[in-house]
Amino acid sequence: MFDAVWRNLPYLLGGYWVTVKLTFFALIGGIALGVLVGLGRISKKKWIYYPVTFYVNLIRNIPLILVIFWFYFVMPIIVGRPMDPFPSAVISFIVFEATYFGEILRAGFQSVSRDLIQAGYSTGLTYWQTTRYLLVPIAFRRMLPSMITQSIVTYQDTSLAFVIGLPELVRRTAIVDGLEVRSIQLFGFVAVVFFITCYLGSIVSRRFEVQRERGF
Amino acid sequence: MIEIRDMSKWYGDFQVLSRINEVIHRGQTVVVCGPSGSGKSTLLRCINGLEPFQEGEVLVDGVSVSDPSTNLYKLRQKIGMVFQRFELYPHMTALQNITLAPLKVKKKTREEAGKKAMELLARVGIPDKADSFPANLSGGQQQRVAIARALAMEPEVMMFDEPTSALDPEMIKEVLDVMIDLAKGGMTMVVVSHEMGFAREVADEIIFMDEGKIIERGTGEEFFKNPKSERTKDFLSKILI
Repeated sequence: MFDAVWRNLPYLLGGYWVTVKLTFFALIGGIALGVLVGLGRISKKKWIYYPVTFYVNLIRNIPLILVIFWFYFVMPIIVGRPMDPFPSAVISFIVFEATYFGEILRAGFQSVSRDLIQAGYSTGLTYWQTTRYLLVPIAFRRMLPSMITQSIVTYQDTSLAFVIGLPELVRRTAIVDGLEVRSIQLFGFVAVVFFITCYLGSIVSRRFEVQRERGF
Repeated sequence: MIEIRDMSKWYGDFQVLSRINEVIHRGQTVVVCGPSGSGKSTLLRCINGLEPFQEGEVLVDGVSVSDPSTNLYKLRQKIGMVFQRFELYPHMTALQNITLAPLKVKKKTREEAGKKAMELLARVGIPDKADSFPANLSGGQQQRVAIARALAMEPEVMMFDEPTSALDPEMIKEVLDVMIDLAKGGMTMVVVSHEMGFAREVADEIIFMDEGKIIERGTGEEFFKNPKSERTKDFLSKILI
């Protein structure tokens, strides 16, 4: 039944590897930049708060597919030479996802009481120490279910990079389909791959949610 | 040890503290009482620079808190603080709560910091709770961990901001006993509290504040027996049943 899939499995798995790599870099970069974005959004310094808020509002009101396109065509002008789809896609995803992770973390940061941070300061900890050892870890723990959900969304969204010719899973499936003309089974296979992996992720997320309800 | 000279603070147009003058000597325990909103907690936060003030001066060990060249992080190491709602770090065990600052600020080794933390936990009476998370401790136990956390930096002054007002009645004593012990051991303490039994037993001076001003100051018995101002009398009649 899945004959066309079996025949092209190594090629398709190669595409899935690209999907996984893109997801990995998008999440690492997106969350790291997201921490800074979240901190910027609670900053009392106007020269930090306003530019960060502008960036967040700008990107969150543009469709992801446009951001991917836009970077692909603008990056060569900035860098001075044509850019491969992969690094271009990684940068677009980091820039895009950081705004979403940033807003999730901002809510997490705001859930940490002022007195708790002051308790840190009163023992002599510096701004960066209270941020690193108190604010960020507490916000991460409280926001973990939302962070996992957003990570799953990011993983699914990586397929949009096919528009700039990145040979990830969906793109490669389309190429195979062009030769084999077996759309239902080929795209059915892709759906199964995404469903299983995302469903596992949501189970993990639910487990953390239960844990959180037990106190913390 | 602590010298406050003509200190005033505003939030916008609203004056929270008005011309506060106070000298606290080494080894003294000063209890600050007064109705809520009278500026007691703000006063504590001005002493260790958690809140800025606009006028006057606060000197801790001769160092000005408001001087821009003062390293506040360094200054705060000398001033331990205990909060009304404990404010333990929820993602860390009692032991980790206590050792964080000694490890990161004083750069102590894990063994040194751990040993000191265990001594402090024994001193506040809960050596068996070292590996418990705050969520699994009672209010009284949490507050005692918070006291141990502040003591771990070996401060010269301890400030308490209504340390017993978020506690169930049966847990108040266990926290007060630790504080009485500290006061009698010679620690310099500034305590915002309405625990008049505590004030009577250990306070060298009791200050009554209202609307951002120090209305009255006195020593133990004298303060309770012969309050001078009407407002102090009125306040005392409400809290001393």
